[in-house]
Amino acid sequence: MDLILDGFGEAWRLLTTGENDIYGITLRTALITGTSTLVALLIGLPLGLALALTRFPGQRGLVALANAGTGIPPVVAGLLVAITLWRSGPLGALGLIYTPAAIVIAQALIATPIIVAITAAAVMALPPTLHLQVRAMGADQSQYLWLIGREARLPLLVAVMAGFGAVVSEVGASMMVGGNLSGETRVLTTAAVLEVSRGNFGGALALGFILLAFIAAIAAVLTTVQHRARRQ
Amino acid sequence: MITTPPVITTPPVTATPPALAIEGVRVRRGKRDVLRVSTLAVTEGETLAVLGPNGAGKSTLLLTAALLLPVTEGTVSLFGEAATRRHLVRMRRQTATVFQEPALLDMTVRRNLETALALHGVPRAERAPRTADWLERLGIAHLATAMPHTLSGGEARRVSLARAFAVRPRAIFLDEPFSALDLETRTELVGDLRALLREERTTALLVTHDHSEAQLLADRTAILIAGDVAQIGPTADLFERPASPAVAEFLGYTVVQAATLPPGLATTQPPSVAPPHATTQPSGLATTPPSDTVRRPPRDSPGGGLIGVPPSAVRLLDATSATSASEGYTAEVRAVQGALGQGRLLLALGEATIAAALPIEEIATRRLERGSVVRVTIDAARLVRWNAPA
Repeated sequence: MDLILDGFGEAWRLLTTGENDIYGITLRTALITGTSTLVALLIGLPLGLALALTRFPGQRGLVALANAGTGIPPVVAGLLVAITLWRSGPLGALGLIYTPAAIVIAQALIATPIIVAITAAAVMALPPTLHLQVRAMGADQSQYLWLIGREARLPLLVAVMAGFGAVVSEVGASMMVGGNLSGETRVLTTAAVLEVSRGNFGGALALGFILLAFIAAIAAVLTTVQHRARRQ
Repeated sequence: MITTPPVITTPPVTATPPALAIEGVRVRRGKRDVLRVSTLAVTEGETLAVLGPNGAGKSTLLLTAALLLPVTEGTVSLFGEAATRRHLVRMRRQTATVFQEPALLDMTVRRNLETALALHGVPRAERAPRTADWLERLGIAHLATAMPHTLSGGEARRVSLARAFAVRPRAIFLDEPFSALDLETRTELVGDLRALLREERTTALLVTHDHSEAQLLADRTAILIAGDVAQIGPTADLFERPASPAVAEFLGYTVVQAATLPPGLATTQPPSVAPPHATTQPSGLATTPPSDTVRRPPRDSPGGGLIGVPPSAVRLLDATSATSASEGYTAEVRAVQGALGQGRLLLALGEATIAAALPIEEIATRRLERGSVVRVTIDAARLVRWNAPA
């Protein structure tokens, strides 16, 4: 119990003093997870829509693949990206290993299948008549996609939340491809791991509390958006 | 002797093409043809009802006509323009479709109408007044800010109709728009739709399984059986003169072997049946669909073949009437059926079983049960006869 209370105290002290680059780590975490969620959305949303709205051989297999991809272990995603970006790897020349960009790539790899699977499921769950009705109303392809996406907006927000939740809480991939470099690739999760390895449980708890507060703040924003969308 | 060939005068051909023309259309699903229509035309301003049993292909026909389902073969034309993939969106914007489920978008009632108007390219300034006008006409102005999930079934159908008519479509497609509604709401909505179709003079294709909807709303009716047009013609004529036993049975006739009826009826000469496919259209043009879409009934031949008995042609005589004993035929009630206020008796008459329609109240008043013996008369002028196949 004392440890938890110490953790609260330490978190408060770190936040008020800004020691141990806590502001930098928190800001970096927000930027990296925000970017990777955005990248995953930009890839996953159209893929999910395409998977739900087009008929082609192997469609079921791809849906199953996306569903399976929701459970991709961050360590495996990190390993794949590390091999690819390693100096001797296929994209080693880009020099991205141990950079925030590498973490973004690995986290996008984790979040994309989640967004694809939830988007496809959300659109497939819409009544078939609604698709016909939108077409019958004279919608062209882009108007059709906009209106169908709008109809599925609540589950799509769930997809965003799930994708963000997956990347903000992962540590294995960030550690593997980012290297936890102070001032460069250290994020809240990797910093917490480092503090534990040092035996500084108070510091680790403090980072944990900040991470939870960060997730709660993002969830509150998305929930507000969701409620507004429901009322519209 | 040389005879002068007759002078052939052709009726004046109007330049106006039909609002909807379906030519040689085949729709295949898997290994089965679900629709096969040689020719079907709806003239501008006309309402054509499509009736048929479940699985006959009615909704497929409607989706095909509304350019929402690609055809495997054949042509669908709207207002003289054959549908092509490239022009589908532009052509659809001349039409509106109302489905069995209202399929309202998850936005307010007002925005549902405004979105439809926007998709049809109606200028922004015009959308609000037109929306208000149509909500008023359908009696749902008070629901303008309501969300679809708060509406009753009847209200949602009204919104769906308002949304469809607000875009001023040249043709409207209605796929069982009032199914799954209570009788009262349905009756009101059919009346409102009838008035709208008359006022707007919109060309309409109505798919329904409700005969009374077709009779109230449609200028002509087509009967679709197993994906094929079995008969098409002016609605009143079609209900009185089914072209084949299959159509007659679908329309509720009892079809029996002529020989099984009492001798007096079996030899009755029903009036000659007019060709069921004489499709005089509102424009005045008479068209003759190809022979594969209609079945002309054979000429009457007393004593043989099949006879179709419309339930409304069978009348129960008053048991207390002095003349009832000497008039009509004796029949035994085999079953008492009924729904939505309309009753039906299955009667054993001679060796045949025929159906008689009568109000449910009358069934209750007369305490008719299985085994009751009644006297009936049959309006022989309304019987339809088909020769047995050679």
